Amino acid sequence: MNASNETNAGGPSETPSIPIHLRAARAGDIPALVPLLLRLKRLNEEFDPLLKVRDDAEQQANDVLRAQLADPKAVILAAEGVGADKDKVVGFVRALVRERPFYTPEWEGVIVDIYMLPLYRRRGVGEYLLREISSALKAKGAGVVTAEFPSQNEIASRFYAKRGFRPIQSLHARSL
Amino acid sequence: MRQSPKSPYVSGKALLNGTPVNASPMAESTSAPVVEGREGRRRNRSPRSAGARSEGKTAALGRRAVELSRFYQGKVETVPKVPVRSLRDFALWYTPGVAEVSRAIQADPDLSFDLTGRWNTIAIVTDGSRVLGLGDIGPRAALPVMEGKALLFKWLGGVDAVPLPIVAKTPESFIATVEALAPAFGGINLEDIASPKCFGILEELQKRLPIPVWHDDQLGTAASTIAGLLNALELTHRSVREVRTVLLGAGAANLVTARLLLALGHDPHRLSVVDQRGVLHAERDDVDELMLRNPWKYRVALETDGGGRTGDLARAVEGADVLLAASTPDPHTIRPEHLRSMAREPIVFALANPVPEIWPEVANAAGAAIVATGRSDFPNQVNNSLIFPAVFRGVLDARARTIPDEIVLAAARELARHAQDRGLSTTHILPTMDETEVFPYVAAAVGDASVQLGIARRRLSHDEFYERARTLMGRSVRLVRALARARLTPPMPTQKALALRKEG
Repeated sequence: MNASNETNAGGPSETPSIPIHLRAARAGDIPALVPLLLRLKRLNEEFDPLLKVRDDAEQQANDVLRAQLADPKAVILAAEGVGADKDKVVGFVRALVRERPFYTPEWEGVIVDIYMLPLYRRRGVGEYLLREISSALKAKGAGVVTAEFPSQNEIASRFYAKRGFRPIQSLHARSL
Repeated sequence: MRQSPKSPYVSGKALLNGTPVNASPMAESTSAPVVEGREGRRRNRSPRSAGARSEGKTAALGRRAVELSRFYQGKVETVPKVPVRSLRDFALWYTPGVAEVSRAIQADPDLSFDLTGRWNTIAIVTDGSRVLGLGDIGPRAALPVMEGKALLFKWLGGVDAVPLPIVAKTPESFIATVEALAPAFGGINLEDIASPKCFGILEELQKRLPIPVWHDDQLGTAASTIAGLLNALELTHRSVREVRTVLLGAGAANLVTARLLLALGHDPHRLSVVDQRGVLHAERDDVDELMLRNPWKYRVALETDGGGRTGDLARAVEGADVLLAASTPDPHTIRPEHLRSMAREPIVFALANPVPEIWPEVANAAGAAIVATGRSDFPNQVNNSLIFPAVFRGVLDARARTIPDEIVLAAARELARHAQDRGLSTTHILPTMDETEVFPYVAAAVGDASVQLGIARRRLSHDEFYERARTLMGRSVRLVRALARARLTPPMPTQKALALRKEG
């Protein structure tokens, strides 16, 4: 076990000590997923004014989740609590499979959202989410997994760096 | 919370508090003290007039402080501590003799504590970002306050403290500067640094420096709060392990108080922290923002869930045993109905200065069993001056490498014990600043704890710590008086004399 695992995980083969239960999200989860998705977008807003959350974001979240639950190119996993929190959705991960017309591997699995309520973070939960979403993406044909998050989000940078991710493309922006 | 003890020399801090401004409501309270006096000791006045009177009095003291500062031009100076019979003695105190002393320290750096004044010298460092209740007034304007604190350190603790406001734009440059200054000092006292950056600065400096680093607004206030609380619980036959507690305000002091309460075995499910947005909890909307901007508050949000309570103060205090407020200087922050909804014999600490969150009379009328404030003109003053001089005396005498929470708690427990020795009552849960005989005991408890924790460079016995503290603390008072007798410090001029001088 390396140093990073002290704070963030049991190793890849261990079950997290706060067991959460991961499963494919269903339409019935949407009301629980929307607030979590909005929390994540509002967190992103902290990093850059160009990530300002729209007024209609809640409706958008509903629509996007509904559409993607029916889209074979999208994967949404819901994390349920256990014990008293059984049946409570405490986090989720959303990813999309995209084609890369000029590069190989040809299919890329992009993690676009990953959010857990604070009390369910650490203790291997992030590791577990990443492992599960990676297998789901692989099963859909992805040969590479990428993650999108605000450049200034150092917590996310460190999280992915510790798990073997490296920056391969940058997205630079300015207002028009 | 921070108060000046009764001493003609301690004016700097108290007198600068004309208009307390609280930049962030419900955060840490302003520390504008109210100076005690004969008037303040009277019990039979209405709460409102107490506030008005103290305001007028503070303004008058402010004017006098400016005049006296002009007259004395500073509050501390360097005084030799070796005999100088003639210039020839400098061959020992200075070159060439001193070179050998330097070589010895070069060979064994810890000898700097034996062969120089380092063992008893601390720096009072600030960036001037949150001075008293004045806000971000910058390092230059902070200097008179740091001088006042240096004087307090000397007078109460026998500690040589160097006022050292520094220009530092970022926490990183502040930390690097203090680290660079450390070789001259046996300890560092951080002063008047804004929350939340004060947390990161303290944490990082404690990690990097081989000497104790302290921040009074966090540790001193929390320690005296804990001391008072332990006795209030003792008096009402409750234990910290079983009570329900609400902390109002999530600034420097209360976040540390929360940490110390948990260390004392307080049940996190019975502990709620309330700020201006209500009960702090792990699923509050702003919790991710806190993770980024104030990880210390974030940690407390995750650790204390108050048994799942959310909502405002009114909701949080229902059935609570204890309410510890360190928030906004507004006497209507805590309302009588809040206290009436608490458990039997509620304990209320209203620590905002200069105006408590509820007047003690009002709190008592609403059923509070024990009330403490930050003011010396009410009973039960929670005052960090009860803690910091003794803590520094103790860690300096032990030549401690750091100040962990165990030390802070040891000081709090010892302070509480001395109030018990004098007899606890609802109006005496803490020693007063007049009970200066308590300080050497607290210093000795701190010294003992340093030895037990294995952080002491020098392991003295309890009696040795005590005697040393008593001697050094007493020496400062003798020194100040001797200087006055010799007219080396001129007697304090009357207002009239100063006015005449100005005209002349």
